[in-house]
Amino acid sequence: MARTATLLVCLLLAITSVVSALDVHGRIQWNDLCPNFGALGASKVLLDAGRLSATVTQNGTFLMRDVVPGTYVLSVSSHDYIFDQLRLEVSDLDSPPKVWSYVLGTPLVSQSSVTLPYPVTFMARHKYKYFVPHESFNLMGMFQNPMMLIAVLTGVMMLGMPYLLKTLDPQMLEEVKDRHASLNGNSNSGQNGHKKSELSMLLNSDEEPKSSSVARLQAGTSPQPRNRSKANKRR
Amino acid sequence: MRLLRQFLVTSLCATLSWALHESDVGVVDWHKKLIGVPLYHSLQTAPVFYQDIVYTATGNNVLAALNATDGSIVWRSIFEPEDPISAFGVHSNTIVSLSGPGGATLREFDLFKGHLLLEKRLHDPLLGHLWEPSNLGTSIISTGASSSSDSSSSTILALTNGDTLTSINSSTGETHWEWTSPDKGTLIIYSKAITTPTTAYVIGFAKSASSFTLHVTSLSMLDGEVIASVNIPANFKNGLTDYIAITSGSDTISSIAWLDQGSIKAASLKPNLKGQVFAIKGMQYKRIMDVGLSHDGQFIAIKEDGAAQVLLLDPQTSSLKVIWEFTDSAPSKLYSDSHYVGGLNKDGEPRIARVYWSNVHNRVVHQVFSAQLAEGKGSVSGFTFPFETSVHGIVAHVAFDVAGSDESTGTRFLLTSSTGSVQLWQQDLLSWAREESLATIKVAEIVEMPQEKMTEEHVRLEEEGFFERVTRQFSDAKNLPQYAVNFARRFATGSHAPISISQDEESVSRDAFGFRQVIVAATSHGKIFGIDSSNGEILWSRVLGLGWAAEVGGTVIPVKLYVTRTVSDGDAPQVTLVTQRRADNTLVDTVIFHLDVLTGDDVRAESKSPSGAILEGFDIISGPLIEAFMLPTQNKTIMLLDEFLQVRIYPDTPEAEAEFQALAPSLHFSLRTGGPGQRKIMGHQTIYSPDLSMYYMAYPTWTIPFPPEEDVKAIIPSSPGLLASFGHVLGNRTTLYKYLNPHLTAVLTSSLSNSPPTCSIYLLDGVSGSIVYHSSIPAASGVCDVKATLAENWLVYHYFDDELAGSGQSKGHRIVSVELYEGNDIDEKIKSSDITSYSNKSAEVTAYERSFVLPYGLAALTTTTTKFGITTKDLIVASRKNNIQSIPRRLLNSRRPRNKPTNEEMEEMLVQYDPLLPDDARLIVSHNYEVANVNRIVTAPSLLESTSLVFVHGLDLFFTRTAPSNTFDVLSENFNKVQLVLTIVGLATAIIVTRPMMRRKRLRERWYR
Repeated sequence: MARTATLLVCLLLAITSVVSALDVHGRIQWNDLCPNFGALGASKVLLDAGRLSATVTQNGTFLMRDVVPGTYVLSVSSHDYIFDQLRLEVSDLDSPPKVWSYVLGTPLVSQSSVTLPYPVTFMARHKYKYFVPHESFNLMGMFQNPMMLIAVLTGVMMLGMPYLLKTLDPQMLEEVKDRHASLNGNSNSGQNGHKKSELSMLLNSDEEPKSSSVARLQAGTSPQPRNRSKANKRR
Repeated sequence: MRLLRQFLVTSLCATLSWALHESDVGVVDWHKKLIGVPLYHSLQTAPVFYQDIVYTATGNNVLAALNATDGSIVWRSIFEPEDPISAFGVHSNTIVSLSGPGGATLREFDLFKGHLLLEKRLHDPLLGHLWEPSNLGTSIISTGASSSSDSSSSTILALTNGDTLTSINSSTGETHWEWTSPDKGTLIIYSKAITTPTTAYVIGFAKSASSFTLHVTSLSMLDGEVIASVNIPANFKNGLTDYIAITSGSDTISSIAWLDQGSIKAASLKPNLKGQVFAIKGMQYKRIMDVGLSHDGQFIAIKEDGAAQVLLLDPQTSSLKVIWEFTDSAPSKLYSDSHYVGGLNKDGEPRIARVYWSNVHNRVVHQVFSAQLAEGKGSVSGFTFPFETSVHGIVAHVAFDVAGSDESTGTRFLLTSSTGSVQLWQQDLLSWAREESLATIKVAEIVEMPQEKMTEEHVRLEEEGFFERVTRQFSDAKNLPQYAVNFARRFATGSHAPISISQDEESVSRDAFGFRQVIVAATSHGKIFGIDSSNGEILWSRVLGLGWAAEVGGTVIPVKLYVTRTVSDGDAPQVTLVTQRRADNTLVDTVIFHLDVLTGDDVRAESKSPSGAILEGFDIISGPLIEAFMLPTQNKTIMLLDEFLQVRIYPDTPEAEAEFQALAPSLHFSLRTGGPGQRKIMGHQTIYSPDLSMYYMAYPTWTIPFPPEEDVKAIIPSSPGLLASFGHVLGNRTTLYKYLNPHLTAVLTSSLSNSPPTCSIYLLDGVSGSIVYHSSIPAASGVCDVKATLAENWLVYHYFDDELAGSGQSKGHRIVSVELYEGNDIDEKIKSSDITSYSNKSAEVTAYERSFVLPYGLAALTTTTTKFGITTKDLIVASRKNNIQSIPRRLLNSRRPRNKPTNEEMEEMLVQYDPLLPDDARLIVSHNYEVANVNRIVTAPSLLESTSLVFVHGLDLFFTRTAPSNTFDVLSENFNKVQLVLTIVGLATAIIVTRPMMRRKRLRERWYR
C-alpha cells in the first residue's frame, strides 16, 4: 500500500514537473573556425553538469527539453572546440527564457542588463591546437645567435687582422701605434687605470706569440715591466 | 584582469614540461576506438548488413556503423546511459533509432557519416513503460517512399511504449498522425506492427487468466483512423516470442502466426480484420522464430523433435506452407544448436542461413537456403570455416549478406561470439575481427616485463672444431651490421627512437626504458587479455572457464586483479584475478585465476595446458565475496573474505598461512557493511576461534557514527607508490612535514534525504577509524557525483557546485586540492608515517586546500606514479569532453598564494592563485583521439623516473606516457645533436685550417725575431 502511495506521489511529481517545464531552443552558429557539422563532430549542449543535455543536429540546432524554472549554466561539450558559456534563466513558462553571457569564475547572477537574443546561439571561440611544433634546426638561426656572431667575428678578425695591417699604409700604422701608446700611457696615469692596463696587457701578452709586429711593439711599452714588478711583489 | 590572466596562463604553460609534437602521435601513444559488444538478443538491435556497412547497437549504448570490408568504424554515435537504444532500422538513406524508456526518442542519422539529422521526442521519458526486456513494445517500420501519402518524402512508422503508433515524415520530422491504444498499455502491450501500402496493423498481446490473447488493430495509412480492432483468442505461453507478424514479399498480403499448444495457427490480416484462423495440420512445433524476413513472408518453425522448417506465407493462397526442412537439424551430439538468420541477396531475394558448430569437424558449418518459389522447392549451399571456439567462446549471433554475384562465394558472415569478438568470415577466410569486449574492461593492471634473456647455448668449447667455431661466431654476429647501421644513423641524426621495440617480435621483453609493459585486462564477457603497452596489440587472450557452471551456463565477473609476482621477484611476472561467477541457476561462487603475464598460461596447471584452451579457475569460496585484499607481505598473499567474514588465503600454501598468522594480530581493514542506502564503514580485525569456524574470522572494531541517512558510496584507498621526500622545504627554510599515514583512506558518502541533500568526503585512519579530514559538498540536483583520488598526502576531488546561494554565487565544476601536513604549525613533526594510529598525535594535521573552477566535468581522475616517487605527481583526468588531460601539480598546489608571490614564495615556484584552471590544449594528452565514457585511469611507473605510463579504459582504450617534470633523465628532445655535431666539425676544421698558418707564423717569428 505504502509503495503504491509513493508511486502515486512520484507519478504526480513527474506529471507536475512535466507540466511546469519549458523547452529551450538554440543553435550553433557556424563560423570560420567551425564551418559545419563535419568539423564540429558529435557534440552536446549541457545544462549545468549535464543533468539535461541536448544533441546538436546536423544543421546546428538543438532542443533542450523539460527545463524547469531556475538559473542555469549552458555549455557546449565539444571535443575540439571551446564555446562560450551562457547563463540561462527560465522564470516562467509563458515568457521566453533569458540568456546572458557568462564568464567562468565570475558570479553567475550578475546585474548585467545586456541579454543575448533567444533562441540561444553558440559560436565556436577557439579551436584546440594540441601540438607544439618541434624546435626545428636551421643553419641561419644558429648563426643569428649573438654569441655565435661574436665567435665568428673574432675568428675572422684573428685571421684577417694581419693581412689587413699589411695592406695598411705604413705611415698610418705608425700613427695608430702612437695613438695606442699614448692612450695606454694616459690610462696608466689614471687612478683606476691599473686594472685596465693589466687587462690590455694580458690581452697583448695573449696575442704575443701569434701576433704581428704591432703586438710586439705594444709589448715593449711601459705597462709590461710594471706588471712584472707587481707580479714579483706578489711572490 | 583578463590580460593578466592571459599572461598568467601563458607563463604557466611556458613552464609546462610535456608538450606533444605531431610526430609523437602513434609513437608515444595509441588509441583503440571501440563500439562495444553488439546487442544480439533482439532482432531490432542486432547487427545488420546494409550495402558494405554493418549497423549495430551495442551493449555500451552505441549505435555504430562498421565497414564490412576492413572492420573499421565508419561512424558511431554514443547515447547517454539513461537513454538506452531499444531499436534501430535502416530506412531508405537514413538510419532511425528509438531510445529511452519505451522508445521515447526517435533519432535519424545519416547512413554514411552518422550525422544526426533529426531528433524527435515521441513521449516523455518519465511516462515510458519499463518492461523486461526493455525494448518490448518498440519497433521501427520504414515504409517505402511510394507507400507514403505524399510521394516526395518517406514515412517512418514508430511503435513506442507498447501503445502508440506514430507516422513521421522522415525529412521534416513532422507527425502525420498518431494512434494510441485506448487502454494505454495497461492491459494490452502492442509489440509488433506491419504495414501494407494502405493499412497498418498493430498487434499486441494481453495476458488473460491462463494464456495470452492477441489483439489486432488495423489503421489507415493515410490518416491513422482505426478501421477495425479484434481480439483473437490465442493460447501461447510466451508473449515475447510465440507470435510473429509477416507480410508476403509483395507487401500486399499479411498474416500473423502464433504457436498454439504445439501447433502453428495463423490468421490472415485484411483491413476489416475479418477472416478465419487456420492451422498447419499434422505437425507439432515447439518454437517459431522470426529471422528478420517477416517482410518476405518467411520464418522458421522448430518442430517438436528440434528439426527446423522454413515456412512461407504464400501470396496466392494467403496461407502458410512448409517449403523446406533443414536436414539433420534436430539436436544431436554431433553438432551444437543451430542459429537461423535471414538475409537478402543482391537482388533482394530472401535467404536463410543456418549456422552451427560441428563437433565432428571442429568447425563452424553454415548452410544458406534459397527458395526457388517458381519450382516450389529450394536449394542449400554450405561451407565450413575454422572458428576458434577455445579462443572466442561460442557463436552467439550470426548475421550475413550475399554481396557477390556468386551466392556461394559472395556470402559474408558476421559472427558475434559469447566473449564479445566480432568477426567477419567470407567463405572459410577470416576477413577481420574486433575484440569488442575490450569496451567492457572491469579491472586492468600494467605489469612490467622482464629483460630479454640471453639464451646462451653452452657449447663445449674444447670439442668445437675451427669451422664450427667460425660459423658459430658468425651466426652470433649476425646482428652486427644492423647494429652498426643503427649506431651510425643514431650518431649522425640523433634520432633515438624512444620506444625501441626489440627487433624480435616474438620475444616478450622490455625495451630500454621500460615503456613496453603488459596491460592485463579482464572484461565482463569472460575473457582476459594481455595487451602490449607499446602498440596496443593483443599478446594473448584467454577465455575464463565456468568450471562446473559450464553445464548450466553463467558469467564470470572480474572483481579484482592483483600482481602477485613482479619482475623484481625474479622469474616471469604473474597476476591473480579474483572473480565472481554467477551461474544461471543463481549460485554465486568466488573463483580465482592465476596467470603468467607474459604468456597467459595458467600457473596452477600442473602440466602446460595447450595454449588457447579455456582457462579454468579455482573455486576458493563457494559463495559470494565480500572483499579481497593483498597482504603487505613478501609473498603477496591474497586475503579473501566470504559472506560470513571468514578469511581465506590464496595461495593456500603453508608458508602463506604462516605469514598470515604472523600478520593477523596487526591486520586492520575497513569494510562497507549494510544494505543499499544505509551502508556504513566499519573497521575490522581478524581472530581465530576454533569453536566458531575453522578459518580466521573478521570482527568489527570500530564504526563511524554517521547520521542514519548517510550512505557510504565508495572507499578509495591511497594509491600506492614509493615516497621520496617526507617534507616540503619552504622559502624561509622552514619545513612542512607531509602527513603520510599509510592507513589513510578516502570515503565518499551521500545524505540525499537531508535538505538540502549533501555529499561528504572523509579521510579516515583505517586502523583507528578516526576522521582526519572532512568536507561537505553540495549534491548537485540531488546526485552525488564526486570523484576523488588520494596519493601520499594529497587528496583531489571533483564535484559540480550548484549552490547559487553560497559564497561563490556561481555554478560550475570544481576541483579541490587538499594537502595534509603534520602538526598544527610549520616545522612540527609527528612522524606520521611511523606513528601508531592510536596515538593522540596522529590526528594533528593541518590541511591546506584550494578550490579551482574547471571548465568541464570529469569522468575519472588519478595521479601519475613513477618509479621512485621523486618526480612531481601530476593529475591525470578524463574529461566529459572525451579527452584525457594532464593537470600539472603546480597549478593544483594548495598553497598558491592569493596575493602576488613574495620572493620566498617565488623560490618555492608558487604562482599566484587563480581560481580558474586554464582550458589549454597543450594539457590534453589524448589530442585528436576521442576517448569516450572513461571508467578508470591506470598509471604505472616506467624504468625512467621521469616518465609515467597512463592507460585509460572505458568505451575506448588509450595509452600514453607523461613526464610531469620533463624528461630530466634522458636527453631532452630539444637537444640539438645536429648543432652539436656541426659545431664540433666547425671547430675541427678551424683547427685544421689555422694550424699550418700558426706554424708558419711561429717559424717566421723565430726567423725575424
